[in-house]
Amino acid sequence: MTVLNKPPRGSQYGSGIPPWLWKRSHFFSVFGLCGVLVLVSLMATTVGSIHVPFLTTIGIILDRLSPAPDRGWPSFLATIVIDIRLPRIIMAGLAGAALATAGATYQGLFRNPLADPYLIGVAQGASLGAVIGFLLPGDWLGLGNSLIPVLAFSGAVGGATVVYLLARVGKTVPVTTLILAGVAVGALLSSLVSYLVIRSTSEVHGIMFWLMGSFSLSKWADVGAALPYITAGIIIILLYARTLNVMQLDEEQSAQLGVNVERLKLVLLTAATLITAASVSFAGTIGFVGIIIPHAVRLIWGADYRFLLPLSVLTGAIFLILADVAARAALAPMEIPIGVITALCGAPFFLYLLRRRKRQIF
Amino acid sequence: MDMTVTLEMDRVTLGYQHQPVLKDVTCRIGPGEIVGLIGPNGSGKSTLIKALSRVLSPFSGSILLNGRDISLIPRAVLARRVGVVPQMPLLPSAFTAFEIALMGRNPHLGLLQNESCRDMELTWQAMIRTGTHHLAGRRVGELSGGEIQCLLIARVLAQETKAILLDEPTANLDIGRQAEILGLIRELCRENHIAVLAAIHDLNLAAQYCDRLLLINQGRLYAEGKPREVITARNMAEVYGAEDCVYAHPKNGLPTVLLTAVEGRAKGRDADAVSE
Amino acid sequence: MKKTCWFLLLVIGLSLISACAPPAATGPSGTEITDQLGRITFVSPNPQRIISLAPANTEILFALGLGERVVAVTDYCDYPPEAEGKESIGGYSTPDIEKIIALTPDLILADSIHEKRVIPQLEDKGLPVVALDPRDLNEVMDAIRLVGKIAGVEAAASRLTGDMQQRISTVTALTGPLTPEQRPKVFYAIWHNPLMTAGAGTLHDELISKAGGISIAEGLAGYVEISLEVVVAADPAVMITGAGHGDDAEQTLRFLKTEPRLVKTAAGRNNRVYAIDANIISRPGPRLADALEELARLIHPELFTKL
Repeated sequence: MTVLNKPPRGSQYGSGIPPWLWKRSHFFSVFGLCGVLVLVSLMATTVGSIHVPFLTTIGIILDRLSPAPDRGWPSFLATIVIDIRLPRIIMAGLAGAALATAGATYQGLFRNPLADPYLIGVAQGASLGAVIGFLLPGDWLGLGNSLIPVLAFSGAVGGATVVYLLARVGKTVPVTTLILAGVAVGALLSSLVSYLVIRSTSEVHGIMFWLMGSFSLSKWADVGAALPYITAGIIIILLYARTLNVMQLDEEQSAQLGVNVERLKLVLLTAATLITAASVSFAGTIGFVGIIIPHAVRLIWGADYRFLLPLSVLTGAIFLILADVAARAALAPMEIPIGVITALCGAPFFLYLLRRRKRQIF
Repeated sequence: MDMTVTLEMDRVTLGYQHQPVLKDVTCRIGPGEIVGLIGPNGSGKSTLIKALSRVLSPFSGSILLNGRDISLIPRAVLARRVGVVPQMPLLPSAFTAFEIALMGRNPHLGLLQNESCRDMELTWQAMIRTGTHHLAGRRVGELSGGEIQCLLIARVLAQETKAILLDEPTANLDIGRQAEILGLIRELCRENHIAVLAAIHDLNLAAQYCDRLLLINQGRLYAEGKPREVITARNMAEVYGAEDCVYAHPKNGLPTVLLTAVEGRAKGRDADAVSE
Repeated sequence: MKKTCWFLLLVIGLSLISACAPPAATGPSGTEITDQLGRITFVSPNPQRIISLAPANTEILFALGLGERVVAVTDYCDYPPEAEGKESIGGYSTPDIEKIIALTPDLILADSIHEKRVIPQLEDKGLPVVALDPRDLNEVMDAIRLVGKIAGVEAAASRLTGDMQQRISTVTALTGPLTPEQRPKVFYAIWHNPLMTAGAGTLHDELISKAGGISIAEGLAGYVEISLEVVVAADPAVMITGAGHGDDAEQTLRFLKTEPRLVKTAAGRNNRVYAIDANIISRPGPRLADALEELARLIHPELFTKL
């Protein structure tokens, strides 16, 4: 094809830079949010039931990185900052990043603004797994303390797999069938959970507390278990960012533009489900993050998945770390379940954003 | 990349959910020719285009691209050979027109690759040729039906394929734009030896711009050949139930269909219903 | 219009008549009793058909030698073993009202948990309900004496309370004079997720104090959540939880023993993480003396050999 007209010089189209890179401010946003994430995490280490002076906190963290013999603080403060607060903050950040990314991915795959990470039975499956874990004898299979996370993870993945298989029609998995199967299977699993909860009078409080979500007992072992899944899953999803843009056309057009739609759906659904399952296994079912954060990011930075995804990772992490701080600081010593915080804070903020910018976001 | 494309359908039966829509269709679309696909509403024109782009699998028979069965060709490769302009597709309203047109470059980009200068230039050029460059920065949700249609053609031009399938490419356009777009397609077809199949319901446009016509009726290939051979009074009466409407174009003698208004109930297909 | 007027008059008339009707059932006549919830009931002297709605109440009844007179207990009443053979009227917070009525009791011993829903329903049917709600050791003694008085076994009651009092005094004689430095910090974990403890004003707190320890939760009131940070900062020397009744009760003990942040506390390092029979410490009944002795032995092994 002979080139007849080059894009006008001086215009964006003539700059030789593709559209998604025109928004140079978005790069600054990514770096800026990374900085905000670090600051918020540091701030979060200073919040807790026991008062630890800010400089002591910094000292403790620096000391862990390069130990010095002389310490001006009792060792239990180090335990509090390094072994209680830090894993909690990192877990909250990981869960926030995972849920926001999964939410954005589901919204992209289903082309539906109401999609959230729990759409295809992940949350309900995890809840069922966790409830069974609560009711089984303590040292079942010798798993001890990991029993509940392992069962929750299995339940999450199991639930999503059942939904996927049920929704398969021949070689394709139509999106509407997936949603309907997800709703049906989710309802069935939820009712099983409710039944088991009612039958177990002694465990009720513990189960309800778990379901509402909490980072109060997060430890480094949890972080170590969840980190590989969440990191790998997010990286895989980020790789497909441009293809997710193309998927915003309907499946027919995407296929006609060379996208292997079924394989893409399988890969992305698997990755998104794994990161959600890893998050739910340790943090319980925290709502709101997966559906609202991607929309808030879209309102501010637009719908291009090449920015939407990394910005959702960062925004989700920051949001959940802040929510966790609020959960433990607002009504100390009592901890508010984090799902309550995410709903209470997220909804008004989102409404505010929506009123300010009325342009189309999806 | 410079290889031309010939699309063939060999005794293809296809449809949806065990219900055949097209039966035993055999045809060929070669490089450098524009083949028009005409027929009454619901005759299966869109279905045929879906089959050629491998969105729909045939119940029987085979669809070949340069002699190879297209179900064996990887999707990304197929998308570099065959481009499709769909009828009334859903477009995500948050993207700009340029971004949508740029998506036409997707088959040429690897998983980790992003668009390059050349992709930008090709897309821009495609938009100029279709007269949509002034819409480049506008969001797709704000565009009219006609503007979207031209944008989709720009996208398929950016896709740089040797075969183009168009499903009602001029349905929403005014006469001037219709002539422009079809003229552009014919020009490209001749220049680059592109195989073009266009489903057009406007018989006159089909006659003027297509080298050959495929007339589909009740799931079968009713007639095939040059416009003069296909758009005949007898065919029109049989297929459309329109009596006595074929005339010769004053300038070039190509068949022209003109309706004359009649009082009372028009004699339609139902009156001489032929059950299948 | 006329029809409406007649209809209205009919309705009003019926309402007036039902209001004037005698009450559905009168309370039983007998001794006037004020229970620990401040309610006043009338109980016939020497009740022979007693139903207990709480495991603690069951233990009190049997300890007073009233086992023969107990007609039904809850599913959770497992001590003494004879109690398990008794008819069951359902759960602790969810007793079967109809079954209770069908057994025609002349005394029902309830708990504060029944105040809102169960007791009103039983009173409505004219059944005599006495609620026990002891908040500390003294009130437990009062409860035992009250039951003794109602059932006409005052002598047994005073023997039981005297016995308990003596055992308590034996312990406090040794732990009373201890200085604060000699009292180890004790963390009592009610549950692990969320981490819950017994603060000031609870029986657990009182027992720990009498056993010669200082609860790290003394700044908190009642049964509350406690933050892991607070526990780590307090560095308890002893950690105790209730366990020993089925696998699920072991969870909190396992948590205390294996939680990486608690392993570093003084209690973790010195392996002073113990389980006490959950039932003897959480039921406000005669076995509290057992609980106190057990706690004393765990907290001050140097002072108390096995009693």
